Order: sequence, then structure tokens, then C-alpha cells
Amino acid sequence: MSYGTEETTMSQKNKDAGLDRRNFFKALGAGATAAVAPVAVTPAAAVDPGKDETKARYRESEHVKDFYRVNRY
Amino acid sequence: MLIKRKSADVQRGRLQSALGGLASGVMDRRSFLRRSGLVAGGVAAAGALQIGSVRKAEAAVYGPATGTKVVKNICTHCSVGCTVRAEVANGVWVGQEPAWESPINRGSHCAKGASVRELVHGDRRIKYPMKLVDGQWQRLSWDQAVSEIGDKMMEIRAKSGADSVYLLGSAKFSNEGSYLFRKFAAFWGTNNVDHQARICHSTTVAGVANVWGYGAMTNSYNDIRNSKTVIFMGSNAAEAHPVSMQHILTGKEEQRANVIVFDPRLTRTAAHATDYVRFRSGTDIAVIWGLMWHIFQNGWEDKAFIAARVHGMDDVRKEVAKYDPKTVEDITGIPGEQLKRVAQTFATVKPATFVWCMGVTQHSVGTANVRAICTLLLATGNVGSNGTGANIFRGHCNVQGATDFGLDISNLPCYYGLVEGAWRHWSRVWGVDYDYFVSRFDEVPAKGGRAARTRKQNMETSGHTSTRWFDAANLPAEQVDQKDNLKAMFVMGHGGNTIPRMPDAVKGLEKLELLVVCDPHPTNFVSLGGRKNGTYILPICTQFETSGSRTCSNRSVQWGEKVVEPIFESASDYAVIYKLSQKLGFATEMFRPYEMVQGKIGLEPTAESILREINRGGWSTGYTGQSPERLKLHMANQDKFDIVTLRGAKGSPVENDFYGLPWPCWGTPEYKHPGTHILYNTALAAKDGGGTFRPRFGLTRERTLPDGSKVEDTLLAEGGSYSLNSDIKDGYPEFTMGVLKKLGWDKDLTPAELATISWIGGNTIDNVSWSTDLSGGIQRVAMEHGCVPYGNGKARANAWNLPDPVPVHREPIYSPRVDLVAKWPARPDERTLRIPNLHTSVQKAAVEKGIAKSFPIVLTSGRLVEYEGGGEETRSNKWLAELQQDMFVEINPADAAARGIRDGSLVWVTGPENNSKARVKALVTERVGKGAAFMPFHFGGVFQGVDQRGNYPKGLDPIVVGESVNTITTYGYDPVTAMHEGKVTLCQIAAA
Amino acid sequence: MARMKFLCDADRCIECNACVTACKNENDVPWGINRRRVVTINDGKPGERSVSMACMHCTDAPCAAVCPVDCFYTTADAVVLHNKDLCIGCGYCFYACPFGAPQYPKVSNFGSRGKMDKCTYCSGGPEVDLSPAEFQKYGSNRLAEGKLPLCAEMCSTKSLLAGDGEVIAQIYKERVVKRGYGSGAWGWQTAYRETITI
Repeated sequence: MSYGTEETTMSQKNKDAGLDRRNFFKALGAGATAAVAPVAVTPAAAVDPGKDETKARYRESEHVKDFYRVNRY
Repeated sequence: MLIKRKSADVQRGRLQSALGGLASGVMDRRSFLRRSGLVAGGVAAAGALQIGSVRKAEAAVYGPATGTKVVKNICTHCSVGCTVRAEVANGVWVGQEPAWESPINRGSHCAKGASVRELVHGDRRIKYPMKLVDGQWQRLSWDQAVSEIGDKMMEIRAKSGADSVYLLGSAKFSNEGSYLFRKFAAFWGTNNVDHQARICHSTTVAGVANVWGYGAMTNSYNDIRNSKTVIFMGSNAAEAHPVSMQHILTGKEEQRANVIVFDPRLTRTAAHATDYVRFRSGTDIAVIWGLMWHIFQNGWEDKAFIAARVHGMDDVRKEVAKYDPKTVEDITGIPGEQLKRVAQTFATVKPATFVWCMGVTQHSVGTANVRAICTLLLATGNVGSNGTGANIFRGHCNVQGATDFGLDISNLPCYYGLVEGAWRHWSRVWGVDYDYFVSRFDEVPAKGGRAARTRKQNMETSGHTSTRWFDAANLPAEQVDQKDNLKAMFVMGHGGNTIPRMPDAVKGLEKLELLVVCDPHPTNFVSLGGRKNGTYILPICTQFETSGSRTCSNRSVQWGEKVVEPIFESASDYAVIYKLSQKLGFATEMFRPYEMVQGKIGLEPTAESILREINRGGWSTGYTGQSPERLKLHMANQDKFDIVTLRGAKGSPVENDFYGLPWPCWGTPEYKHPGTHILYNTALAAKDGGGTFRPRFGLTRERTLPDGSKVEDTLLAEGGSYSLNSDIKDGYPEFTMGVLKKLGWDKDLTPAELATISWIGGNTIDNVSWSTDLSGGIQRVAMEHGCVPYGNGKARANAWNLPDPVPVHREPIYSPRVDLVAKWPARPDERTLRIPNLHTSVQKAAVEKGIAKSFPIVLTSGRLVEYEGGGEETRSNKWLAELQQDMFVEINPADAAARGIRDGSLVWVTGPENNSKARVKALVTERVGKGAAFMPFHFGGVFQGVDQRGNYPKGLDPIVVGESVNTITTYGYDPVTAMHEGKVTLCQIAAA
Repeated sequence: MARMKFLCDADRCIECNACVTACKNENDVPWGINRRRVVTINDGKPGERSVSMACMHCTDAPCAAVCPVDCFYTTADAVVLHNKDLCIGCGYCFYACPFGAPQYPKVSNFGSRGKMDKCTYCSGGPEVDLSPAEFQKYGSNRLAEGKLPLCAEMCSTKSLLAGDGEVIAQIYKERVVKRGYGSGAWGWQTAYRETITI
């Protein structure tokens, strides 16, 4: 996926939207939806969560180790 | 809506079975409110809601974990000082991650901290400057707004004087913003400058400083991990300082500590206590003296500590003798046996610490309350070491710093006071002629039987307090001790619903010719009353949109880095103060020392350059060692600090430093003092963060013996009490050039230091002291000899220069126990600061009118976890607002039944002054005792039953509005600081 | 393989609601949808205790058992997720869930309540990991980023634990031993058919 166009959109919107931060985000959101539409509703993913969806994602990263550490005495 | 309500019930039923042994009935504040409906303030819950709005932008454009930078700042809510780790992508704050490395919060947040990102996305933020024209809000440019405001200020100044413009600042300022605003007041020529410390801990600061030297928390949140006994009084940390509970609950588990909560309410903190003591609001001194009675009776006091380090304990002993268990139970309602048990625990299971908050401070006897607690700590030897201390939990994120930098009617920055020497000191630091400041102040004519004041005298006279700003507008001019009444309020970052007697505040607002509200969100100042013209709103950014340092409750100073640029047209405090100074004509002089950079609305000073100026002048409080570089180094090495001792690890770039260089951090930054984790700690050397009690009340005090002869008691420490490695093994006074000479230590000064001292001292070089020596030489030499620059004195249990030198119980102004008023009356009428303080008249009138019969319920107030202060900011945050949608009053089931009030129904709460009334929901609960009620203080936007959303600029009304408790609260002011009586009044409650 | 669990240490929970707003913040959950909430028992009385609740990601999840369109699936981390493209908003799962976890965006007396929403253990949904589509429908996928649910990560008193069930059980055991008491691993019997024995 190319993100380049989106970035352009963003900076333009940023200027256009001027004051209204909220609209700025809305505009961005709309752009995002359009851009990713083909990916979003892949029929295969929707019907049958296959191996990729159910694979393990958890890993004991440094971040996770930090979490365990601060929870101990 | 129906379904939702039903489903909530279903959930509850099922939950009860899932909760198993733990549960015996699920009904709480939030399910109570959930039943009360889902939709509030124009946020619709109905309709198809889509997950994801702001973040999807990030997800689409950048991918979640790439292209983002991490910026660290500090939470802008309470004083705990949690590090906020912000992920920023292309100028947008897209995510918040836990900052594991912060020794203060270790990644944790409360509801407020976990939602701060919303602050810079909120669509209820003020977008641009506005003014009220015939009741309509009009948009203005910054230039136009500041120009009109400045012109009006000058007009008022010419007509009524500088003191007629009230400068109300904020505990939400950074240190640099606070300092700048105080300096601005000096240039404007008034001491009418104040901030939220007035209404939260002014009595603490005054009380504690008058006992042992400095008005601040002695230890830290982290240090409570060492305590074996912890008393909370008038503090509900679980809601007000949630992350502090991480340290407290961990400490409780590790030490098997006693956690004892004194409160009229069984608070969420009390739910985690080992002992809960309910008592009647406003009887704190009787409670403390009741504890002391048992301690003295059983000889549990720390006699060696008292002998070496405390003056005047015998005077306390005499007073305490009056508070036998029977008397105390009658006043407070606490059974004698329970009090005895607590007294024994506190005095003997050591180290013990005492935590207090606004339940203690917000009283017409606030300063005396505070001193009583300090005396208890002194009597049991629980000050100045690990696990002990007066752990005063401050309120706002920088209320400690704003206090330190003199956003206060009686101080220049760093507690120098207002005396000529103080003005001369800061004139030197600012590089401005002292006489210029004299010329800026009003001459005050003689009136009301009071003598006239010259400019110089007015400059040295404390200002008018924020708690009574409207009295200065409303009272006859003759009663107000300044040139003229108040005509303008310039308010930066301060709510309008935070002090009692709101019906009187409404009248005051209508008298003002100019009202300027500078805030990220429009505060209650905007919505209250019926102003049609002369009100301005200026959009200020949050501390996430600028940089600067802030001081948390434990005196640690943390540097916050700008996360994003100020949103909409908002600007930083620095930029606005500069712009206004330009208009008023003193910007060049005032801002000369600073590095100026281009901001959105013009030039603004960098926070770093302001902090460097603070470092050059903040000797008295040890704000000299915390350079921007050192603070930034600490933020970059947060993970190197110990969680209990706050000490930087060996071999790290911050080796030996205490986290955030808690003040006092003596000497120049180059001297590398580590800061002071625990105040008055003699177990450490002065240059390593040790300390002693500060002798600031003289060196001796005369005492008359029973036979009429007189003796001089020393006020310096005795009995071999001094900080580690001290060359002077005894008490000693503060260091001056004269003292150095006497000791022969002046030879240790460098030529450069000596030159500076000579420049400052002129012909009276011996008078240059540790706090006025701009070279830092005197401090350095003292510390090299193991001595604390301010001296080694005794704390005092008798504050002879204050009202009630030894605290005595006084019934609240509006007391439900009319029978006790005669024996324990309020103080006689007096003048406090610039206006009358009618304690006795008001109390007597209440008794005569039979107020206690027609208003039989004691009303107190406090915090909720999801909101803060006046609440506009948090009530405008959708993630928080959703959690608490209604203002309510907690009422005991017995009182509710007697009045036919059902849980969740609407009631009128009425108060004894101004025919005040408030329409709120009833929360029927045993949390409050019979005859007591509680209301949270974060609400506004509804006044006496009338919704005031229409008074806010369109779209800027908070999501949640509600009645303010301060519509009901009443008269009563501390005689030292004019702290309002926010915690005891009387009310009646009836079904609406 | 690590089995993800939640554990709320009721002796630490102070009902501060950080978990609730952290969830909102991380997943941009709209007003009215509460993936997580804090429930207090004996409110205002001696013995008051609070617990933070969300989907517990049960073993043999009852929601999955009753779903007429079979939209639930369990990942190898033992996280129970669902597919919003399949969900018909019938509400059966809500009635089956012992924790009241499922939430619905629409409020109406009859008919569909809209696609069900619930806690995903901050691990997204069936779409491509960390894709915009996944974020829009399900929120963030912290597990795929090597992180844990933000509610637990931001808990004010370290009451709410998340992560490998064995690790957090061990942390909880240490606490009970240290302090000498414990209210038990709340909800574990219901969700995981086991308790933590000290």
C-alpha cells in the first residue's frame, strides 16, 4: 500500500481545515477508509478465520517484561 | 434507552453470581448513574457508532508503530506528576504509551491521566479570541483582543489604580509561567495576584512553614513505602491522587502497615484502610488533641526528639489536657477507645506518616488544623526521616511550583516575602531599578479609620485573596483596604465555581468592568451571571502544547517537552503574558533576560531561559540547582532512579541525584547538589540532601517562670542534633557574610564569589545572606563545612505570632452543635488582609436564627476521580464525561427515608445564606453518616436550577454540566490566609 | 504456548477507571460502548471492593457456543475474538456472557442492535494485523506489537494484570504471600475453570 498520497492529503487538509482540528481528523478518516477499502473486506478473512488470524501474537518482548517487572514488588 | 436500562439490570444480576464469594450486592456510583440515563450534553449514544476515529488516521497513514516519535511530558491533572509518553506522528498526538521508566508512576495513570490525549483533540477547546457584545460572542484577532484588554486595563488603572485589576493565575501554569505571571504583577504594580493554592493548601503552606520552616510536603509519595503507620485525614487519595495509592498499597503490603483513615465519609481510600475513623466535619483540632491526650497520658511521646528539636511543646501539653476522651467524643463523635488505639499505633508503630488534604485545610481554622497535625508529628518524632513526615498531597499538577514562585498575595518568587530586601533582591535578579517597581504601585488614601499608605508601603502590603475577590468588588469602598474596589478580573487558568458563596460571586461579576478568561476551555467565570459586555475569552494551550518544568507534590521538578503545537489559535501562557506586557509598555524591561523565539501569535520567551533566571534568584528555596539541562537529563534517565529512595544509580549519568532534584537543591547547577528527598533529615550531610529545622522565628524566646522571673529559651537545636558531618555540632543561625567572618570561613570564598557579595552588600556586606548572595558562595561554603545554609533550629509547637498560637478547637461558623458554640466559639471579628473577617458575627447570627434547626444536615465537599478542580476541562473530555454524567448529593438512608427521598431521584439542596438552592440527584448511601451529606465540587453550568449552557460560546459548553456545591457553601475564612470554609456548612435536603 | 488471561487484584483496585479511559483512548471506543468497566460491591459500606471487568476470554467461551452465525474464534493466545462482518447483532452472546462483556452500538427496542463490540484483549480482529481496516472495526492490536492490553498496562495501582496466565498467577501469588491475604483471582473459576492456589 502506498502511503505517499495519504500524507499529501493530510498536509493539504491540515492547511485547509485551518481551525477545526476535529474536521481535520474526520477528513483524514474518510480518506483512509477509501484508500483501504479493497483490503478491508477480503471475503476469505470474513468467512473463515484461518491460520493467520488465529496464530499466536503474544511474545515476551522487552515491553512485556517491563510490565511484569513493575507489577512485582 | 429502555433496552439499555434493562440490560444494565441483567448485567448486574448476572455479575452478582459471577462475583461469587466477593459479592453481596452490586450497586455503586456508576451503575447508579447508568440507570439515570446514557445521553448527556449533546453527545448522542443512539445510532450506529463506529469504532475508531482519531487513531484510524494514524493507522491508515503511518502504520501503528512506524514513523512516530515519542515525546515525554507530565500529566496536567493532579500533583503526583505522572509521566505521559506521547506518540506523535506528523504533528498529531496519536497514542499514549505507559512510561515504565518513571519512578513516580511506572507506566500507570488514573482515569484522567489515561485520557489526556483527548485534551489536544477536544472539539470543545476555545478556538480563537472572543468578546461578549450585548450578550453575543464575537470572534476577534489576537491583536485586537489584547489591544482592547490593555486599553481597558490602563483606563481602570488611571481611574481606580493598579490594585483594581485582579490577576488570578493558575496552578496549571508551568514553573516558568507562574514565575512570569508573578513578575508581570510586579511590573503592573500590584500584590493582587493569586492562584489555586489559596483554596487548596494555603493554610498548609502557612501552617507548616510556621512550624519548621518550609511550606511543603516533607517526604514523597514513594517514601510512604517505608511507613509502618499511615494516617489519612481529609484526604481521599484513591480518588484525588490515584497513582499515589500504588506506593501506599504496595507499602502497606510490604510493611504490613497500619493505614488509618479519618474522614466524615467512608471514602474509597477508607475502603483500603486497616482502620476507619468517622468524625464530624470541622472538629479536626479536637481529634488531634484527643490523640495527643492519650499520647501524653501514656508517655508515648518521643522525649529525646522533643528536647533536641522542638520548642513550646509544654504549651501544647497544657491545652491538650482539656481534651479528655469524654470531651473529645462529645465534640467529634469518635469513641475514646478507638482514638486511644490509633494514638498508640501512631506513636509506637514507627515510622509513621500523616497525610492530609483539603479536608483539613479548607476550614476557617485551616492554619490551626495544620499546626495541630505538625505538633502530633513532632511529639512522636515522626519528622525528618524515612517513612515519616507531613505528606501533604497537593492538588493540581503544579500547585507546588506556582506556590513556590509566588503566585501569591504575600510573596515574591521563592518565599522572599514583600519586604524591601525581597524587592531589592528580585530587582537585582531582574536587572531592573528597584525604584521603578515602587513607582508602579498605588498610593492608598486614608479611609475607614485606617492610615494612608505610600507606594512603598502598599508594595510591602499583602494583596487581596482570590477567595473573596467578589467582596472586594461588592463591599463599600471604605471597607476595602486599597485605593478603590475591584473593577477587573484577569483570570488565567482558574475556575469560577471553586469558592463558596456563588450567589455573591454573581453580584461581583456584574460589578466588573472587565473580565478576561484565559483558558483552554471556557470556565464557569464565562457562564455564571448575566454579563452582556466587557468579557473576553482568550484561548490558551495546555502544557502538552508547550514546554516547561513543573514541581510535583514531593518537590521533584520534572521537565515536560512540547507534544504538539498549540491547537486552533491557542497560545502558550508565555506568549500571552509577553503580548500583554508589550501592550502595557513594559515588555522590553521585563523580557530582556530571555531568549525569544517566534510563536504562533508573536514572539515568546523560551521556558529554558526563564528557568535560568529562576536559577539565578531562587536561593531561599533551593531552586538554583535545577538547570534545564539537569532536569532534561533526569527525564532521559528516569529508569536509573530507585523507586523507594529516588536516588540515581551508581555509574549512571544521574548518580547520587534525587529524582527531579526536589527542592531545596542548593548552590549553582555546577555544584551538583542532589536535591532533598526528605526535608529536615539529619541522617544525611547537607551537601548530600540532608537538613535541619529552619530557625526563622528568632534565636531565643523569653519565657516567664511561675515566680515571675524570666528566662530565655533557645530556638536553636540542642542535644547534639545536627545534620551528618556538620562542623558545628550544635544549633546555629542562618549563614550570612557576618557569620562566615566570625567562623573564619569567609576565607573559603572564591574571589568571584566575594566580588558578587561585595557588590550586593556595599557598605553592609555582613548582612548579605545565603538567600541574597547571587554567587551561591555562602551556600557553598556552609555546605562544605557540613552545614545547612538556613541554619539549625528548633521546630515550634507554639506559633506565637499567629492567631491561636496553640490551636484550640472552634466550632464551625455554621455548627450543628449549637450547644458547643458557647464553650468553643469562632474567633472574634477581625480584619484579614484587606477586608473584614466576621467569624463571630456570622456564627452568632446563625445561632440566633436557629439555622441548625432549619438546616440540620452537615454538608461537606470533595473530589471525584474522573474530574478535577472546577471541572470544565475534564467535563469537556468525552472519555471522562461519560463516566460521571450527573451532579449528586450523597445522603444517608435514614435522612433520605425521613424526607421521602428515593435513590436517584431529584432533590433540592438548600443553604443558609442567600436563599441558595441547588437541584441535584440523590445518591442514598451509608458512605455518609446520619446527619451528613456530601457533594462533589467539580460541577458548574447549572445555577440554582437554571441550565446555563446558553451562556457559553456556541459549541464550547462542557459535555456535562451540573450545579456547583459552592452555590450552597457559606461564609468562613481562615484568619491567616483567608482560606474559605469549603468543608463544613449546614443544609437542608428535600425531594424536588 | 502462553495462555492470555486477565486478573484483577481486588485488594488493589481503587475504582479509578484508568482502565476504562485507557481502553477508550487506545481503541477510540465511542460514547456509550464500554469494553471495560469497574464494578464496586458493598459501595459505601465496610468491605467495599471494586473489580475491573471486561471480556475474560474464557476457556470454552459461552458466547461462542450460542452464536447463531458462528462469528467467534479463539486464537492460539487463547484470546476470544469475533468477526463483525458475520455478526448480526442478535444479542445472544450478551445473555450467555457471565461478565456482561458484549456491547452494542444501537439502542432500540426491537431488531438488530448493530454489530457486537467487546474487548479484543487489544489484539484486533480477523483483518490483516495492524491494518487500518482492523483498527476501524476492532481497535488496536497491541499483542501484534509486542505489547499487552493498555488497560492493564496503565492500571494506577497495578491491580489489573494481563499477559501469560502463568506469569500473572505467579505475580498474584507473591502478593498474597507478602501481604498475608487475598480475595482470590476474581472470575477465574467462571472464565478459566481454575483458581490460584497459594
